Amino acid sequence: MDKEEVFLGSAERAVNNARQMGAESAEAYLSSTKELSIEVREGQVETMKLAEESGLGLRVFREGRTGFSFSTDLSPEGLEEAARQALANCGKASEDPYNALPSPGASYPELDINDVGIREAAVEDKIDMARNMEESARAYDPRIKIIESSSYQDGDVLVAVVNSLGMRLVYRGAYCGIYLALVAVDGNDSQTGFALDFGLKYNQLKPDQVGRMAAQRAVRMLGAAPLTTRKASVILEPYVATGFLGLIGPALTGEAVQKGRSLFAGKIGSRVASDIVTIIDDGALPGGIASAPFDGEGVPTSRTGLIEQGILKGYLYNTYTAKKDGVKSTGNGVRSSFKGTPEVGVTNYYIEAGTKPVEELINEVKSGLYITDVMGMHTANPISGDFSIGVAGLLIENGELTKPVRGMAMGGNIIELMEKVDAVGNDLQFFGSKGSPTIRVAEMTLSGT
Amino acid sequence: MVEKQILKEVLDVAMVRGGDFADIFIEEKKIVGIGCEAGRIEKVHSGVDVGAGLRVISGHSTAYAYTNDLSRTGLLEAAKIVSHASTGDKKEVNMDFTKVKPMVDFEFMEHPGEVPTDRKVEVVEAADKAARSLDKNKIKQVLVGYGDVVQKVAIANTVGDYVEDERVRTRLMVHAVAALDATIQTGYEAVGSLCGFELFKNYSPEQVGEAAARRALDMLEAKPAPAGKMPVVMASEAGGTMVHEACGHGLEADLVQKELSVYAGKKGQLVASEEVSVFDDATIDTRYGSYRFDDEGVPARRVNLIENGVLTDFMYDRLTAAKEDRKSNGHGRRESYQHKPIPRMGNTCIAPGRTDPDKIIRETKNGLLVKKMGGGQVNTTTGDFVFDVAEGYLISDGEIGPMVRGATLTGNGPEVLRIVEMVGSDLGFTIGTCGKDGQGVPVSDAQPTMAIKQLIVGGTTHGEPNGKIRRI
Repeated sequence: MDKEEVFLGSAERAVNNARQMGAESAEAYLSSTKELSIEVREGQVETMKLAEESGLGLRVFREGRTGFSFSTDLSPEGLEEAARQALANCGKASEDPYNALPSPGASYPELDINDVGIREAAVEDKIDMARNMEESARAYDPRIKIIESSSYQDGDVLVAVVNSLGMRLVYRGAYCGIYLALVAVDGNDSQTGFALDFGLKYNQLKPDQVGRMAAQRAVRMLGAAPLTTRKASVILEPYVATGFLGLIGPALTGEAVQKGRSLFAGKIGSRVASDIVTIIDDGALPGGIASAPFDGEGVPTSRTGLIEQGILKGYLYNTYTAKKDGVKSTGNGVRSSFKGTPEVGVTNYYIEAGTKPVEELINEVKSGLYITDVMGMHTANPISGDFSIGVAGLLIENGELTKPVRGMAMGGNIIELMEKVDAVGNDLQFFGSKGSPTIRVAEMTLSGT
Repeated sequence: MVEKQILKEVLDVAMVRGGDFADIFIEEKKIVGIGCEAGRIEKVHSGVDVGAGLRVISGHSTAYAYTNDLSRTGLLEAAKIVSHASTGDKKEVNMDFTKVKPMVDFEFMEHPGEVPTDRKVEVVEAADKAARSLDKNKIKQVLVGYGDVVQKVAIANTVGDYVEDERVRTRLMVHAVAALDATIQTGYEAVGSLCGFELFKNYSPEQVGEAAARRALDMLEAKPAPAGKMPVVMASEAGGTMVHEACGHGLEADLVQKELSVYAGKKGQLVASEEVSVFDDATIDTRYGSYRFDDEGVPARRVNLIENGVLTDFMYDRLTAAKEDRKSNGHGRRESYQHKPIPRMGNTCIAPGRTDPDKIIRETKNGLLVKKMGGGQVNTTTGDFVFDVAEGYLISDGEIGPMVRGATLTGNGPEVLRIVEMVGSDLGFTIGTCGKDGQGVPVSDAQPTMAIKQLIVGGTTHGEPNGKIRRI
């Protein structure tokens, strides 16, 4: 019997146990992951890690309540204990008429997410990829003195979802990626740089490019100093813009809206950003690292336009929040692992590319800051949208990037920032499952010396 | 959890192709989590995660594998995987498995496993109720989270050590949202300790709920923070986020050895104002970052890092210690069996000085008083940091003035420690989960009231005090 069938069998057993112990309905989510990570420093393998983990997350429903338990013990006794625990927890939770499981979907997207090339490639080749990244970074500039981490990583995942409403699903997927972090040193000055490339196809990883990119990011910051406090036009590099996009992700979930902690509540159909901003979540995006045929509770994944041409179009939903709003789940019941319940979350989440090349975005600015790095993005207030973060980058003078800048603070409000976007680049780039093109913002407050 | 005979066999297989050192970390973690939102108990979760992590170090390379399968076959399988990745000569091994003695002992009074779930739910409900009743109109939302973790570990290695330990941690956090007209503000408060349910004898759930709600309500009235360079007084209640971010990470030996720390090569040098001493002590009773043994079986102890401004030591795990031919000082920690140990902080503190905290405020002409810190981030290579001020006040003429919101502090760690002008005689702790290399571990940090000559305050007010910043 192959592993898929074994897994489905265990999931069914867990659901049946729960039903026999008094659950009105039940759902078992099983996952098994195998991960390899390799870290290279100065051509030598510093860490080689092989990981294997399987486990069960079990949700049960009774009298309008729900309970959850998880376990790494998939033996018949382990599955029984998990059901007992979940039912005991269920008894302590509050009643809620919206607690429910989804029925099987009518159809599921067919996705190319299981590249056998990842599994088949020799470990030695994977090590070489990390070595190549390191070499191309060092070749870029002699001031690249320290490699903090040059790593290759891949993973292989098997997921099964079975519920008592007839759902019986399983999929296999794989991903791979490379990551480089380094330091450029010149005299007493050191500056960090990094780059990464994560995807679904082994032969599409580009270690040379990642190496050069990381080196360039560090070298161009050497000699950086703070500027005086000012108001200026800013350009956000794709990585930085992706950070801001991440900040508003939670506010675009049905959950945040229903619980009164979304700055987008009650604004469907209203303008929340400049008319050149379009934000999409697509759990079935071809090549997307978060793509899967179904979400953490077996609902088919789909493309959801969240903000289109600056107008708020909708929110993301799992089964629970969808039922509460009387809409259909968007297939965004995301699980962090088998240890968690399906919460509303983003999948492949990005700002759509514009039409302008990045050079044009820069050339049109008389005086401004091209922001390449931010610090403390996680301290921004996701409810009010207020942020005040540390920024670093390159000064723009008369349409040219001139000198490196660091140690500045930028404060504002995320909605205000989105409304002030006056150009979107054509260079959409993903960093894992989130992505953005280069974005220009008309005017922001920058605090410095 | 696993018979010693099997551990021996597994470590033998791990080292069969060579290596300097091998160890196995076996873990059984039981968790309970309760979540309350909108006045309803939304979540009651529990679970058990069992697994083992195996490691072989040869030279500077580490091979690591983990598995959920604790059977003899499962462990031997993982041992074979790590043995393939190890190279070089095999060092002498010792498999006596002598029990290591800790330098401190902790007693757990009310073991969470023996406390019925009903009582945990009551704690959550009490915190929720207290937060809401502070202002029934303005408090719009309250989130309460309770969590307890019982982690049993067994650690065995090829230098002959054997450690069994149990860590029990309990925490409660409250997040309150207050709204008035179009303004929304939040307040947060959390308590947690290396202890069982007796946590709530020291901190009543009501106090925690009220503190979070009070902060959110006060923030509604706060003015936008000013922007620019100014003197900053950090109250002891602000806890040690700054010492953690501004210098703690830079004192972790792995970052120092990779020359990713501004403190690399500075041992014996003056790196801070002479007023400043910094230590990390995981043996302090029941703090959130306390432990008896680290995750490599090394007993925890106090490590003096900076004494009167002079850099004296770093925090080491076994691997970084071996590179310098010294012994670990008990800072090898890991999130779980799925991670290799790396140098981490426990309870990091700036030592109290002699100045009366009130005097520090009186002697500050104009500036910002930080009473509660939010999260932070540091670039250890440059020492640049930024963190969020959760509760701040303006100081004018030595008097505490109005509350301000939206402030962040931007600065450079080593520079800030050099411009500490006064250190108070008090000490305040905060708790948190510290992330590094994708691993989260429980920590606490502490500091006395301190006057810092100047920091860049990032606020939203610039030039025009009643600016056009729109609030949602």
